[in-house]
Amino acid sequence: MNDGRPEGAPDVDRREPAEPPPRPPLPLRRRDFGAAAARLLHVQALLTPERMQGPGFAYAFEPILRRLYPDRGRLAEAHERHAAYVATHPVMTGYLLGAAARLEEERARGGDMDASRIEALKRALASSLAAMADPLFWVVLRPLAGLVGVLGIALFGPADPLLPDVRVLLCPLLLLLTYNAVALPIRWRGIRAGYARAGSPGDILRSLRLADWRDVLERGGALLYGVLVMAVLAGLVMATRAPALGPGPLVWAMAPLALGFLIARALLRRAPSASVETSLVVLLLAAAASLVL
Amino acid sequence: MIVDFLRLAFLGGILSIDRSAGWNLMLSQPLVGACLAGALVHPGNEWELWALRLPIAVGALLQLLLTNPALPASQRPHDTATAGPIGGAVAVLGMAHLHAAVPSSSGGLLWVLLGVGSGLLAAVVGGWIHRLHGHASRLDTRRAATLAAAGDVGALERLHLGALWRIFTLGALWTWCGTLLFLAASLALLPRVIEYASARRVGFVFALLLGAALAAAYETHVRGVRRGWRWSAAGAAATAALLISLGREGA
Repeated sequence: MNDGRPEGAPDVDRREPAEPPPRPPLPLRRRDFGAAAARLLHVQALLTPERMQGPGFAYAFEPILRRLYPDRGRLAEAHERHAAYVATHPVMTGYLLGAAARLEEERARGGDMDASRIEALKRALASSLAAMADPLFWVVLRPLAGLVGVLGIALFGPADPLLPDVRVLLCPLLLLLTYNAVALPIRWRGIRAGYARAGSPGDILRSLRLADWRDVLERGGALLYGVLVMAVLAGLVMATRAPALGPGPLVWAMAPLALGFLIARALLRRAPSASVETSLVVLLLAAAASLVL
Repeated sequence: MIVDFLRLAFLGGILSIDRSAGWNLMLSQPLVGACLAGALVHPGNEWELWALRLPIAVGALLQLLLTNPALPASQRPHDTATAGPIGGAVAVLGMAHLHAAVPSSSGGLLWVLLGVGSGLLAAVVGGWIHRLHGHASRLDTRRAATLAAAGDVGALERLHLGALWRIFTLGALWTWCGTLLFLAASLALLPRVIEYASARRVGFVFALLLGAALAAAYETHVRGVRRGWRWSAAGAAATAALLISLGREGA
């Protein structure tokens, strides 16, 4: 039976209604970046070897993705993409998120940006940032900040025995200021700088000058170690000063110090990552050796 | 006492979040944790001043001993975040509770050693406990992949916040239990072995541990740094010159 339509023409009435066109992205606001930055503070809450910071990164990205993809389906798709493997230093995640936000924005506006390109940039930038930031923050700056905090004990001098010891606040404060004076500005600028320079990731890496920072701080750490050793030795000399007894008390104090140094160094050379176990072994050895005194 | 332990538990939870969730503000460093514990614990009016002094020494030693220059992935799983509060609190509370039973003229060194020993053990056991979070995170990550594929963004957010809460809870519980455990062990064991803890022996152990701390700091700050020795020597020489000139002025 012919109902008047040409042969083979589609049955217009029976066709499913066409999907509505995707809703256009909403413009990104300062507060979206602020919300993402706040969420980045928890980027490692679900850290696993399989996806590293991936789930945390997607969680932090969510306020931005929600603006860019008002449609539930596209939002879920973007969320799934960003929850995949991401591994970088937590302080540098802002740069990564900013750059990814810029590319996602282009994609959401219908630009020539496919998901694989975003993923490729994310991976390349994440590993480069980690390669530069891990040695700086984990290997140099964190121990250096601890050393500065410890040196605060000598810097602020012995407390008046009748007054509260303010070093209990000043030493931790020194530690926190030393680390965060470098880390916080990088965190603060991260998302905005990554967003502005998403087109040229090399510029992001060059602008940070992390290698230069590392060289300077490494030397600073070695210099301060010398200060620490001299401060400890001076403290020992002061504590054992007894002109009537000669150098005996000082030798008596220096000998176990040198012994502890040599034992711990020998153990740490064999197992560099076992500092806690080494300390416990030294403590036990010291307790056992003290019994023969 | 219960209020002190509640404060400590809260501190331990916050420090665990700083270490494990990504704050990375370095609140979780042993020096900070021990000093904050000293400020939060109130062992009684007569011990208030000591409660501020002992944790600095405990925290400084733990800071040098626990600082590991390796990347986190290649470190042994030690919980340095709760070691500081546990070590600091055990030193202060141990002193307040044992002072009458343990006569010692070591000028507080015995309590510092007690705190450092507790902190080191707490770091090891805390690392084991932290594995619980790692295991749960693996399960959560698998669940997150399923939820992301289903497009349930709300559930993903809840999963993430749940992980955050788990880090806080484990840190708080371990700080509470660890402090209680090491304090109880000190109360039980120390009076029995105190006859061996003369001031001379305590000083010997302290000096040996200080030497170990300097060795750990050497491995971290000097070894592996280009011309590290020269920079250290320069720092030592400058300090010596400064101390000598200050000594002359004082004289």
